[in-house]
Amino acid sequence: MDRAGTQMGDPGRDSGRNTAAALRERGIKTLFFCTAATAVIVVAFILLFLLADALPIFTLVGLPDFLLGQTWAPSAAEPLYGIFPLIVGTLLVTFGAMVFAVPLSIGTAVYIAELASPRVKSILKPAIELLAGIPSVVFGFFGLIVLTDFIRVVFDLPTGETWLAASVLLGIMALPTIISVSEDAITAIPREYREGSLAIGATRWQTISRVIVPAALSGIAAAIILGIGRAVGETMAVMMVAGNAAIIPDPIWNILSPVRTLTGTLGIEMGEVAVGSDHYSALFGVAVVLLVITLIINLSAVAILRHIHEGSSARPGRKPLLPAQLKEPVSRSLKYGLIGVVIIFLFAALPVHLAVGILLIGVAGYFGRDRISRFHIEKASFGLIIISALTVLIILVIILADIVINGLPALSWEFLTQPPTDLGRGGGIYPAIIGTLYLVAGAIAIALPLGVGAAIYLVEYTREGRITKLIRTGVDLLNGTPSIVFGLFGFAFIVIYLNVGISMLAGQVTLALMVMPTIIRTTEESLKSIPASLREGSLALGATKWQTISRVVLPPAVPGIVTGSILSIGRAAGETAPIMFTAVVFSQRFLPDSVFDPVMALPYHLFILATNVPGASASKYGTALVLLILVVGLYSAAIWVRTHFQNKIRG
Amino acid sequence: MSSDVIIATHDLNLWYNSTHALQSVSMQVKKNNVTALIGPSGCGKSTLLRCFNRLNDLIDHVRVTGEITLDSENIHRPGTDVVSLRKRVGMVFQKPNPFPKSIYENVAYGPRVHGVRDTKELDRIVEESLRHAALWDEVKDRLSDSALSLSGGQQQRLCIARTLAVGPEVILMDEPCSALDPIATAKIENLIDLLKKEYTVIIVTHNMQQAARVSDYTGFMYLGKLIECGKTSQIFEHPNEELTENYITGRFG
Ligand SMILES: Nc1ncnc2c1ncn2[C@@H]1O[C@H](COP(=O)(O)OP(=O)(O)OP(=O)(O)O)[C@@H](O)[C@H]1O
Ligand SMILES: [Mg+2]
Repeated sequence: MDRAGTQMGDPGRDSGRNTAAALRERGIKTLFFCTAATAVIVVAFILLFLLADALPIFTLVGLPDFLLGQTWAPSAAEPLYGIFPLIVGTLLVTFGAMVFAVPLSIGTAVYIAELASPRVKSILKPAIELLAGIPSVVFGFFGLIVLTDFIRVVFDLPTGETWLAASVLLGIMALPTIISVSEDAITAIPREYREGSLAIGATRWQTISRVIVPAALSGIAAAIILGIGRAVGETMAVMMVAGNAAIIPDPIWNILSPVRTLTGTLGIEMGEVAVGSDHYSALFGVAVVLLVITLIINLSAVAILRHIHEGSSARPGRKPLLPAQLKEPVSRSLKYGLIGVVIIFLFAALPVHLAVGILLIGVAGYFGRDRISRFHIEKASFGLIIISALTVLIILVIILADIVINGLPALSWEFLTQPPTDLGRGGGIYPAIIGTLYLVAGAIAIALPLGVGAAIYLVEYTREGRITKLIRTGVDLLNGTPSIVFGLFGFAFIVIYLNVGISMLAGQVTLALMVMPTIIRTTEESLKSIPASLREGSLALGATKWQTISRVVLPPAVPGIVTGSILSIGRAAGETAPIMFTAVVFSQRFLPDSVFDPVMALPYHLFILATNVPGASASKYGTALVLLILVVGLYSAAIWVRTHFQNKIRG
Repeated sequence: MSSDVIIATHDLNLWYNSTHALQSVSMQVKKNNVTALIGPSGCGKSTLLRCFNRLNDLIDHVRVTGEITLDSENIHRPGTDVVSLRKRVGMVFQKPNPFPKSIYENVAYGPRVHGVRDTKELDRIVEESLRHAALWDEVKDRLSDSALSLSGGQQQRLCIARTLAVGPEVILMDEPCSALDPIATAKIENLIDLLKKEYTVIIVTHNMQQAARVSDYTGFMYLGKLIECGKTSQIFEHPNEELTENYITGRFG
């Protein structure tokens, strides 16, 4: 108030101050622009460095032979660099994961959105978010110890490390993504459709299956594509259970064969390769292929989601995704294709008489459907839907129970405060805990200002135009980049090119780049949810743009930003692939002296214990539990902040 | 009860949580007539209408007492099949709500969910319903276009056709014209006039002239109560209650 008084009383000083203020405003805007540009620059750098390092192998082998070569034998006397088996492995594993995850996810999403009572919903939704929070190395650990053993016993195999194991595990990991995005899509269907259908005398199941799910179909498709992206880009879990033989399964549907994926190859070989060798270059070639695949997948999901978002008002004349004439044949061929695939898998995975039995029931159900009353069909469908939701819940409980029950005995004061001895079999994990905290703190210190700045620029300072489009695409690309690719980039750029060496700093920067998109996204969302009238109110009082942003817009957006940051911290704490080649050592007695020293980290420690140190069962489970508590604790905090402040805002 | 009464309520009460939205409503709806429900905003017209096809069942924390009969059958009787009740009592909503499917599929949806598979039969029902809803000539060449590409008035007539396609006995309409311009409104009003030959129509409207134009009977509601119900000419010319007269003449408050 009294500032307004002085301004009015002293016009001379006022105008001087206005130019200074204008300068400051411009400076602030430039600063935010720079943060926003980081995303694009980073993407450009990643592409540049990967391509530069991959170029030698492309020229040496030739792109066709590299992509279609049948043998991957980089360490042979006469090395061969054909990545075709790796591409096939990636596709097969992803495909299997979807066969497992898609029905379960859609069933669960429909259950949550349409059938569950508010109470059940309030249990299921956090449970699924929890599943999303479990670090991939913990999944891998669980898969290695429990799942592969289960498969080995059930199918009477020498080892359970198979395509099947990898697909089931990846399927589980993709569940939360597919469920939550599909659920959003289903919930967004206007209530009028539901009422319109019920008012005609359709049953609830008919309404769900013929009106609601078809209307939500593009959202569900996007959910599945995002799930595919997640599965294709996953490294640690897959590498720990897939068996990693670079062969194409014979016959192609033999799900009990080991396979090796693109990501797995990077994870296994990158640590041991000589910098600058042909093999080194070939690994970067693999990373480029991986990146291209995931980029295509993620950008198409983003495009579909944007299309839905923009078309949500259902304006007439909006272009449909598929032309009307194509819809029918496309959906029909999809349907029959899917049925065929399911049948093949049934026979591959189950004993023959069981598979035939299931098939017969299916056929009988199909032809008998007119005889069965629609109320029985409704009962049966709801039964299946409830079973899928229960299955998801049970999977979560099994994983948590296994780790908590086996991990608790290992926890002790000594375990938390002592350095490891005897290759991690004895002693504790103190340096790993501290190392993870250091890494995460550094990553967030870098990513938070950059991410928030970029979001402020995108929401507050620009109209939608070419520049925002470019920046958004950059953010989307970063978001879809597999974490192992960040790891390779961090190694090539920070460790080697900038000559920083394997160090905490390199790990922090790499993690920061990885979590930046999350922070940008969540900050953008919360800024956008602040009504324009607040801004106008402030501007109409004569406040400058920056005053308006800093005093009116940012404060109510803080909970959203905090949520995003905590989620990012959780993600950074649990990731292994980005730090594996940039920051960590397996065992060291002391804490790092500076950011240029390497550190120990919990996820990497767990990975090495699980895969390379026999007989460290107690410390493995102990480490897994500590990591789980840390990450899940952070996720719970994020969920709490979100719901707490949501309730507050709603009053 | 005379045989030309199709729907009757007796001492009907409805609560949303603790809001007493319908208070002891007793009314009779005559077959093959148009009955209008009028009254100020929030008086419970939509609530009453949605009782007739039990659409209020979808809302949590709704409690109903009293009796509603359809052809002398209590629709709250345990074991009532809500789905076939809704087949007999169709509804057109305030905002046109076509499904995001083609025009054809919108109309065919109802027969399909009730078990019609034969394509020829479906074609016949679709054409007949669209003709009935006075929409056929406007859309016959673009049946596979998205229903969302129609204008608001056309969408509303499509929703009427969709309702007709399942062959209901009663059609409930909740302010069906409030989102439409005068021309589209006139089309729907003409349509309502034609529909009463075969169907019973109950329409909620805020527009007094519309009630006077289209309806044979009118019920006036106020604060959850049915104040009076009778022949439209009587309600508009010689209302029994002062409240009704004040509302109709615009002297309200
Ligand atoms: N889902 C609901 N939950 C709680 N209260 C409701 C709900 N729907 C309606 N009500 C309340 O019941 C009363 C009657 O509402 P109703 O929608 O039937 O009025 P109306 O006569 O149709 O009004 P309008 O002319 O504005 O459409 C109102 O006081 C309203 O607030
Ligand atoms: Mg109403």
